Amino acid sequence: MNFLRLPRATPYLLLLPAIVVILGVVLVPLVVSFWTSFTPYNLTKPATLFQFVGLRNYERLLGNADFWWAFGRTILFITIALNLEMVLGLGLALLINKVTWGQRTLRTIMMFPMMFSPILVGFQFKYLFNDAVGLVNNALFDLGIIQQPIPWLVDGSLAPLTIILAEVWMSTSVFAILLLAGLMALPKEPIEAAKVDGCNPWQVFRHITLPFLMPFVYIAMTIRSLDVARAYDMVRIMTNGGPAGRTELLWTLMTRTGYNNSQMGMANAMGYVSILTSILFTYYFYRKLVSARAFMGGAQ
Amino acid sequence: MAEVRLEKVVKRYGKLEIVHGIDLAVAHNEFVVLVGPSGCGKSTTLRMIAGLEEISGGTIRIGDRVVNELPPRSRNISMVFQSYALYPHMSVRENLGFGLKIAGQGEDEIKKRVDEAAEILGLGELLDRLPQHLSGGQRQRVAMGRAIVRHPDVFLFDEPLSNLDAKLRGQMRVEIKKLHQRVKTTVIYVTHDQVEAMTLADRIVIMRDGHVEQVGTPSEVFERPVNTFVAGFIGSPPMNLIEAVVTTGKARLADGIEVPLPPDARVSEGLPIVLGFRPESFAPRGHSLHADARALSLSRTVVIAEPLGTETILFTTLGGKDVQGKMLAPRPVSPGEQLEFTLDLDRLHVFDHASGVTLR
Amino acid sequence: MSAGSIERPWQRWAIRIGVFIAMLILVLPGAWVVLTAFRPNIEVLARPAVWIPQNLTLHNFLGIFGRLDTQQGLPVANYFINSMVISVTSTVVAIAVGMMGGYAFARYRFRGKAALFLGFMLSRTVPGVALSLPLFILWSRLGLIDTSVGLIIVYMAVNIPFTIWLTDGFFRQIPVDLSEAAQIDGCTRWQAFWKVEFPLARSGLASAAIFAFLTSWNEYALASQLTRTTASKTMPVGLMDFTAQFTVDWTGMSAMAVLIIVPALVLTFIVQKHLIAGLTFGGVKG
Ligand SMILES: Nc1ncnc2c1ncn2[C@@H]1O[C@H](COP(=O)(O)OP(=O)(O)O)[C@@H](O)[C@H]1O
Ligand SMILES: [Mg+2]
Repeated sequence: MNFLRLPRATPYLLLLPAIVVILGVVLVPLVVSFWTSFTPYNLTKPATLFQFVGLRNYERLLGNADFWWAFGRTILFITIALNLEMVLGLGLALLINKVTWGQRTLRTIMMFPMMFSPILVGFQFKYLFNDAVGLVNNALFDLGIIQQPIPWLVDGSLAPLTIILAEVWMSTSVFAILLLAGLMALPKEPIEAAKVDGCNPWQVFRHITLPFLMPFVYIAMTIRSLDVARAYDMVRIMTNGGPAGRTELLWTLMTRTGYNNSQMGMANAMGYVSILTSILFTYYFYRKLVSARAFMGGAQ
Repeated sequence: MAEVRLEKVVKRYGKLEIVHGIDLAVAHNEFVVLVGPSGCGKSTTLRMIAGLEEISGGTIRIGDRVVNELPPRSRNISMVFQSYALYPHMSVRENLGFGLKIAGQGEDEIKKRVDEAAEILGLGELLDRLPQHLSGGQRQRVAMGRAIVRHPDVFLFDEPLSNLDAKLRGQMRVEIKKLHQRVKTTVIYVTHDQVEAMTLADRIVIMRDGHVEQVGTPSEVFERPVNTFVAGFIGSPPMNLIEAVVTTGKARLADGIEVPLPPDARVSEGLPIVLGFRPESFAPRGHSLHADARALSLSRTVVIAEPLGTETILFTTLGGKDVQGKMLAPRPVSPGEQLEFTLDLDRLHVFDHASGVTLR
Repeated sequence: MSAGSIERPWQRWAIRIGVFIAMLILVLPGAWVVLTAFRPNIEVLARPAVWIPQNLTLHNFLGIFGRLDTQQGLPVANYFINSMVISVTSTVVAIAVGMMGGYAFARYRFRGKAALFLGFMLSRTVPGVALSLPLFILWSRLGLIDTSVGLIIVYMAVNIPFTIWLTDGFFRQIPVDLSEAAQIDGCTRWQAFWKVEFPLARSGLASAAIFAFLTSWNEYALASQLTRTTASKTMPVGLMDFTAQFTVDWTGMSAMAVLIIVPALVLTFIVQKHLIAGLTFGGVKG
């Protein structure tokens, strides 16, 4: 009997096109990437693609201070950004939830940054924080707060700050929207029961609202960790890793090594590090999500 | 003519066998109810008849066709789901006519049949509404309407009333019975509610753990349950079941009371048995249902009395077990009161203790 | 919630002011860019800053489309068309393919289901930048560099996992009973899908499509490496053209930014209700 005609084959047939595309565009390239990371492949010397050098790229990476700086900075960047976004998003959601009028409009405005391409967000903040024509400096100047323009994107310690600001502006909405949805789905009875049991507003929030919201926090975290690497676009247009490498992230270092210096082997080794980092972040939050859901029971 | 015949029908999910070889013959225009506790395989059996589940073994016939391999649409059946499964994006009229439209019927024919069904079920006013704007009882009617417009050979119902409140359930039960009298069709009806089964069925099929325990008319399964499971399942309040041992031709209870056994009971000396009697066979003196029956007098203390209006349920103990008696034409009874009960010896049930099978 | 709790007047005002500030922060940056797009260059560069726009003009838009002699025009029209073609095509295909996959996950039990689902989701975690390296190598050999087709294929792969995730959620929201009732009513499984399940999932699919479109429309990391010329360059990549020049053309870039954001805005507002629903229950009910 022909397997393809059996009812058992139906789900596989339905999934076949998706599998083929993912195989061709993600899995095969990953294998190529994996192989390349064990060669000294240089774009200008095609023959080097077939020269196996074992773990040499990885060894060099581990011994390279620039790489470690970029790696550490990336982790720090993700951690700070996600936490800030979560706290601000929670605050925003609680605020909007208190509002009784025009919630729909407010929610629409809240989605505003989500439609922006990261490259646009980068451009926008590059413009706002430009030392000569930027809105921020102009405002500070005309209010008499500063006499000299602040070099937001040129100063080594201000530039990372500005980038985090842009990132937080872009993604806080994701948290706010999901947490607001959570707040709206919040069952009334437990809260009323807690009030009757003598909880003050803070205790109600701490013991009832927050645990209920946790699955929503983790959904947002999972969704966000899927595309943290979009920050590359922003950094690319705002500072491209400068000044003096102070905003160099794993992703900008990787493209510089691969495309500008043509060291594809090395770049792919970094690529693997970044892929594993992303997977770990996503996996971590996904596990949290699953256990928070199991703990909540109701919020399936 | 559409009788439905199941022969050694088996359902397995992987290695797990859920339905263990069911045999059942449903006659043309017969109303058969599958009843049993939740999880016993009633729905699975019904869904195999509908063609919604593959059959792992055995054969199912509808009319003179073996339908094992046929998809649902080729079986000429219709089904009312527990959730009603009304199409949310279609009006009541479109819901009713959907099957006819798929079958390629003409507009006029569809309209005629939809109006006819709407008239039978009193849906006239609702035809242009969406299901979300209907009450539970109305949705239930639409679901039934959708089943009858197609004039199927067999109607299948899967717990159609279990989402309704008690009062509506009672009403709809009567409606379904009327409907069957009007559009004579073979019906297979699944429920876990024995009252529904008793009131609706021509014949009842009692299932447990994927097996058929007994098939019979309502009065057969009520009066002659083949085992303790059926005895306990059918009837409300349930039959009292007390362990006893056969001693000198009588049943000796744990508290030493001896109950004379019916002469036709197939028992031997020393056999552990289970003695069964319905609450209505255990009434205070003067309140017995069958005054002419042989009876045993027992003086018991009432623990709780539950007045239900036309009758009172009396809770007391016998043979070390809690038992219930029933007093028709009630008078006030207070807890702790000592009453003289009569146990109807002609309506005793005797079961083997080990297997639970009847010994009469 | 808010109806149940008692608020004092000062609390109400604190909330209003808080909301106002939050909304200002969310809206102002974008609004400023939009405003800049319609202002003359001199006014934007003027010192001291001109806060109240003196005159608004379409000059910048004409400029980026090469309709002015004074400025060397950029092939923005090409970029826009490329972006549209690539985003729309990849979205349509990704939705079709993803819907099939999502349906399979929602409705069938099969061997390897959990592993496959995890595999799809993991494929989505691979950062675009990291994926661009091997894709660059492969696409060069296949002659797909700097072609629309090359980018369409990549965006399909980027969008399929998320579409599967969303549609799986949407289809699981639709009771299986409905499809079964339709089959009893005489439908084949195929008919039951198109007549009952698909119409009910339509709004969900629309939001999945918007997500896919936005992802493609806004993507930069992959496009910047896999495109070269006007043959396939997209709007986000084109935006970088401006910074490659010695001085940054703020008004020109702002005009281009407006062109990027407007289609996204319009689409999102059309389906915003479904968008939120999609995001939440895709995840919560998962
Ligand atoms: N797809 C399935 N896989 C495994 N077990 C199932 C499946 N569907 C139902 N079952 C099991 O089959 C048994 C019978 O189910 P069902 O026929 O629905 O019972 P009911 O008598 O309550 O209608 C139940 O124990 C249920 O857990
Ligand atoms: Mg059932």
